[in-house]
Amino acid sequence: MTNSQSDDAKIARERRWQELMRAAQDGDNAAYVWLLSEILPMLRRVVAYKWPRAPDVEDVVQEVLLSVHTVRHTYDPARPFMPWLMTIATRRTIDAARRRTARSANETTVDVMPETFSGDDTKSEQEISDDQDAIRHALAQLPDGQREAVELMKMKGLSLQEASIETGKSVASLKVSVHRAMKSMREAMKREN
Amino acid sequence: MQSEELIRRLAACAEPVRRLPHPIWRAATWFMLSLAYAAGLVFAIGLRPDFSAQVTEPRFVIEIAAALLTSMMAAAAAFCSTCPGRPLWERLAPFPFLIAWLATLGEGCWRDWSLLGPQGLSVEPEFGCFWKIVASSAAPAILILVMVRRGAPIAPYLTTCLATLAAASLSAAAMLLFHRQESSVMVLVWQFGSVIALSGVAALFGRRLLYWRTVNLGPVDDERNSHC
Repeated sequence: MTNSQSDDAKIARERRWQELMRAAQDGDNAAYVWLLSEILPMLRRVVAYKWPRAPDVEDVVQEVLLSVHTVRHTYDPARPFMPWLMTIATRRTIDAARRRTARSANETTVDVMPETFSGDDTKSEQEISDDQDAIRHALAQLPDGQREAVELMKMKGLSLQEASIETGKSVASLKVSVHRAMKSMREAMKREN
Repeated sequence: MQSEELIRRLAACAEPVRRLPHPIWRAATWFMLSLAYAAGLVFAIGLRPDFSAQVTEPRFVIEIAAALLTSMMAAAAAFCSTCPGRPLWERLAPFPFLIAWLATLGEGCWRDWSLLGPQGLSVEPEFGCFWKIVASSAAPAILILVMVRRGAPIAPYLTTCLATLAAASLSAAAMLLFHRQESSVMVLVWQFGSVIALSGVAALFGRRLLYWRTVNLGPVDDERNSHC
């Protein structure tokens, strides 16, 4: 195709699109489908050219189509269609690239997601046995009242009310006993370690 | 969703639209309404006491004309900047008049310096001037922002800056008629400076004020119920 033929084709296409857009503005849905379908391949090329490393060209193209739809009343049929379309396509591609850059500035790409728990091995039988001995030893060192409170509430699983009935002590007194017992046991186990 | 499907759904909900009038007509509409508002404001407050003496001064007349032309051209540029595909030079239209306004004030400062020496360039704090410009330009600014929002937000920062420049310049022109300033440097700092500062600050809010509207395409699965 010679240059003059190519120019004639471009002029004819421009006139056709101007007419289609004018009809679309007047509510001709068939003309609108025709126009958007004709500009779609060109929009894909323009977006790919403006943003060569776009992660998803089709998403940006669809944004351009939506923008064309929302501002189609701004097209003046007395003016050329291509500059109108290209301005919107360029603007929306730049917006998408900026959004992507802003989002990726706050993201870190990783191959393997870090675990949220410790990778330590489970305890051995010996370690479990040692821990149980330490707890028993710490418990044995407690005064009678505190030991009884721990045995009832932490080992047998009674509630404060149930333990109160069992021992005849008030709920407040049992709370204090358990709190002091836990503190003493923690210190005793720290000392042993 | 495939782009072809999106096109089909956009067309299904496309209703006839009312074309945006030419930017010059929109600018003229805004300017006439805002000019009437500014004239009402001057009428309500009253002319400055030395108005009859000032109006015979060519510099005073040029100053007011430059401020009014800046306002008019900034409004036209703001409306042009919301129409995709229009030439970029249109957005620069107010700047020659803004420079002419600045030059008139500069000439006044030079004359004050020649007559009074450093005394002629002393700047007194007069924040009231700033607040008067803010208050008197609020209504024209709201009107122009409502009008530019009908266009396409292709240059939101510039459009907001130009729209605010239009409103603030008109307000500054009105202030020259009812507010007396002792020296050109005071007008330069407190009136011209306020116009520039307001336009700059407003530009920062461009993206919040002018943004792309969303399209409601309706439910995906039932094409008969799709609507915009």
